[in-house]
Order: sequence, then structure tokens, then C-alpha cells
Amino acid sequence: MNFATDTSIDIASAVNRATAPSAEPKLKVEGLNFFYGDNHALKNINFDIPEKRVTAMIGPSGCGKSTLLRIFNRMFQLYPGQRAEGKILFDGVDLLSKDLDSTVVRSRIGMVFQKPTPFPMSIYDNIAFGVKLHEKLSKAQMDERVEWCLRKAAIWEETKDRLHTSALGMSGGQQQRLCIARTIAVRPEVILLDEPTSALDPISTSKIEDLIDELKQEFTIVIVTHNMQQAARCADITSFFYLGELIEVAASNEIFTNPREARTRDYITGRFG
Amino acid sequence: MSSLARRRATDYTVKVISTGFAALSLVLLAWILWTLVARGLPALGPHVFTKITAPPGAGGGLLNAIVGSLIQISVALVIGTPIGLMCGTFLAEHGKNTQIGNAVRFVNDVLLSAPSILIGLFVYQLMVVPIGGFSGWAGSFALAIIIIPVVVRTTEDMLNLVPIGLREAAFALGAPAWKVVTLVTWRAARAGIVTGILLAVARAAGETAPLLFTSLGNNGWSLDLGVPMASLPIAIYQYAASPFEDWVALAWAGALIITVGVLTLNILSRLVLAKMK
Repeated sequence: MNFATDTSIDIASAVNRATAPSAEPKLKVEGLNFFYGDNHALKNINFDIPEKRVTAMIGPSGCGKSTLLRIFNRMFQLYPGQRAEGKILFDGVDLLSKDLDSTVVRSRIGMVFQKPTPFPMSIYDNIAFGVKLHEKLSKAQMDERVEWCLRKAAIWEETKDRLHTSALGMSGGQQQRLCIARTIAVRPEVILLDEPTSALDPISTSKIEDLIDELKQEFTIVIVTHNMQQAARCADITSFFYLGELIEVAASNEIFTNPREARTRDYITGRFG
Repeated sequence: MSSLARRRATDYTVKVISTGFAALSLVLLAWILWTLVARGLPALGPHVFTKITAPPGAGGGLLNAIVGSLIQISVALVIGTPIGLMCGTFLAEHGKNTQIGNAVRFVNDVLLSAPSILIGLFVYQLMVVPIGGFSGWAGSFALAIIIIPVVVRTTEDMLNLVPIGLREAAFALGAPAWKVVTLVTWRAARAGIVTGILLAVARAAGETAPLLFTSLGNNGWSLDLGVPMASLPIAIYQYAASPFEDWVALAWAGALIITVGVLTLNILSRLVLAKMK
């Protein structure tokens, strides 16, 4: 009703249309700062990621989007000298809390990397590896789980007759879908995708984009991409990062047609970055 | 002379000189192998593998030395491989850019190039003197010290070739560090690691100096690691320096056996690597 907040209501309702069923965000970033040694890489980030939606993070190289992704599953903790301050609430629990075990966080928040990273073992064992870390399954249950996640990753038909051959013999696109299957197999709630198609050809890319569309019915997806068409096609919500700051978050159709910030407009129209 | 002609002349000269020296080193190697085969092959016979040391002229063989070498190398392998493997893993996975890691790497490099006679003397002081006698155990320990630095170095190098992304992918599935190392990183590097172990065995197989003051040698038949034990390098050393024709022939036969064994290990390690790639 208030005239002064008109524009913000507009944006909020646009986001709401895209995110309708979720009341609470799946991931809630509060006052997050991140440091590589003395380098202040993320500056006071506040960011809500809704459940069962695709949220894209775009921005020029070095803007901090991959850094943020690697905080969500605590990957940064593998490297001494990297430090996060602030809060990330995951269903209300602070992900950065020292009491929380990294292996548990990573079983609930999975990640797929830029380059396909199949393990040097069979297709079947690639999937069983992650599952065995967290669950004790019988042979029959494991067979079922392998088929389930390969079907989910739309790669079952191509692999069902060669499950026990080395995963290294697959094409790059197939390897990447196997990596997605491997991540799904652990049954996480959130899937982080770090430029998952930048090493793939257009056909493989479109298969993975279709897959992302399917997966959002069950999983919360966060994707970092350099490809703005990809963000526009796949993501419900897009966020723009620049020099370690979160500049703008909006429904994808809003941000690509009518960005609020001049810097966002300059970036998506290709004026820099 | 034009500058182009001069450059061609320089190019030609360098090519001729380097080809010449390459040929020279090949000729030396071929010469050694030829001498070995020419002298060793006629001396080879069933008796070499079935009879033990005997007095000159009595038709003895190398059985005790061959078996002694196999036993001592096997024991050295069992002692040295786990230590080398774990140490190499520490350097590549946990000790990168740490002070202790750098110190361990430096000490290992020194050990890698330490004269092997020193290693023999070290074990002599450490084991033979306190225990009061030469033994197969002491020889095995000395050979283990030869094996360890080779395995450490190759393990570290091979693990460093495994892409970081593969480790991160395993961590991202929620694997604890020890499972990432044992189930993913080792597996990715296993061909290289196995090659390193085979090369270390090949190196230890031909060492004489570390055994001189440790297992000493034994002219009788013995499988007891607690007493002096025969070995091929020591037998060659003994026989080759003797004035008896049949003993000298046995030395050539022993040298041929070691060379063929080491060559086989080297070829095997290359096959393992090629097969994994």
C-alpha cells in the first residue's frame, strides 16, 4: 500500500512468482565475509536461496561466485589460509559452525565441478563410492540405487550394458552426467554446479540443461555460470556478483530484461567482464 | 660463407657430435652386455641353479646365493615398501609446503644419493655390533634402507600428478581424508607407485656394498635370517676375485642372472605403466 516501497514490492512479487511454494529459504547467507589470506574476496553477502529452485550466480571472473559456492559445502576448509566469517543457515543450522562435521555437510550439499572428474574405477563403483560413505546397502539395494540415479541423470540407457567398465572410457558429456548421477546417489538436498557445462560441446550442454530442469523438482540447485543464456534458460533466480559484492538478485526474466543496477545492465549487455 | 650456410654447418656439426656420443654410450652398454653374455652363458648350466657353493673344482653352483638374495630382497621389500609408501603419501598429501614436509623431503633426497657402503656401515654399527654377529636380518635392513628413499620419491611424484580436482570430487561426496587418499588418489596413481617399487627392487638386487658388513655371505645352505646369509652380489664379488677358473665362470653366470633379473623388472615396470595408460 505504501507508495515509497512500490518498486521493491514489484521485485519481491516477481521473485515470489518464481519461488512460490517455499516460505523459508533453503540456504540463508547472513553477513558473510571471506578471505584468501589477506585478500577480502567476499564482502558482506546477504543472500537467500529458495528451496527446489534453480539459482544462478553470474559475474566476471574473480567476482567471488565460485568462492561462495565452495563455502556452501565447506570445500574452502581443505585449504589453510582460507577463512569465512558470518553465517550461512541451512534449514536453520549454521553451516559454518565448528560443531558440524564437513563430511555430513557434504553429504547433504553435493557439488559438480567444471571439469568432469570420474574416479579411475567402473561406472558402477563411481556411484557406489559416495553411497558407501554414508549408508550400508545390500547388493540389491545398491543395484537399485545405481539404476535410480543413472536414470535421474538421464544416462541409464547409455550405461546399463557397461556398468562394470571403466568410467574413463566415456565421452566428456557422459562423464559429466555420471558425476551428476554420483552426486544425486548420495541423496543430497542441495546440488552445487560450478560451471558444469563450460568444458562440454553444445549437445552435451543442452542435455545437462534439460537435466537441471528435471532435477529442480527434487533438489535445490545453485549454478555458477559464465554463460548468460544458460542462466536465462535454466535459472528461476539470477544473482549478479561483482568484485566480491552481491550487486543484484532477481527473478531471471526480470534481471535479464529490466535490471535495477547500472552495473548489472552493463555486464549483461557485454559492456565489461 | 653466407650466414645461412654457417648456420647449417653449425647445425650439422652439433648433430654429428651429439649423435657420436650417443652412439659411444650405446656401444659401451652393448659391449658390457656382450661380454656378460659371452662369458656368462657358457658358464650357465643346471648346476648353477641346483648346487650350492663348493670348493674349487668340485662342481658347485649358486643356489644358496640366489635363494639368499631372493629372501633378503623380499624381507627388505616387506619392510621398506610400507614405510616408503606412507612417507611419500605424507609428503604429497599432507606435508606440502610445511616445514616438516620440506625437511623430510630434503633428508630423503640425501638418502637417495648416499653411497651404499655407508648404509652398510650404518647397519653394521646399529645391528651387527650390538647383536654380535652378521645376519640375514641385517642384510635385509640394509637393503630396505636402499629401497625406502626410491619408493618415497616415486610415490610422492606420482601422487603429485593426480589432479586436485579428483581429490576435491571425492571430498565433495563427503569422504574423509583417509578414504580420499586410499580409495581415490592411490588408485589413480597405482601404476606409477608399483613402477617405483619395482625399480627400487631392481636397484637393491644389484647392491653389494650394503651386504658386505651385514649379511656377509655364507658358503653353506641356510634359510635362517639370524645367521650370515649368501647373496648373489657377494658371491660374484668373492668368486670373481678368486684365482680358480670354475669360480670365475660362476661369477660371470651370477652377473648374467642379476642383469637379466633387473632387466626383466625394468621391462615389467614399463609394461605396467603402459597398460595403465
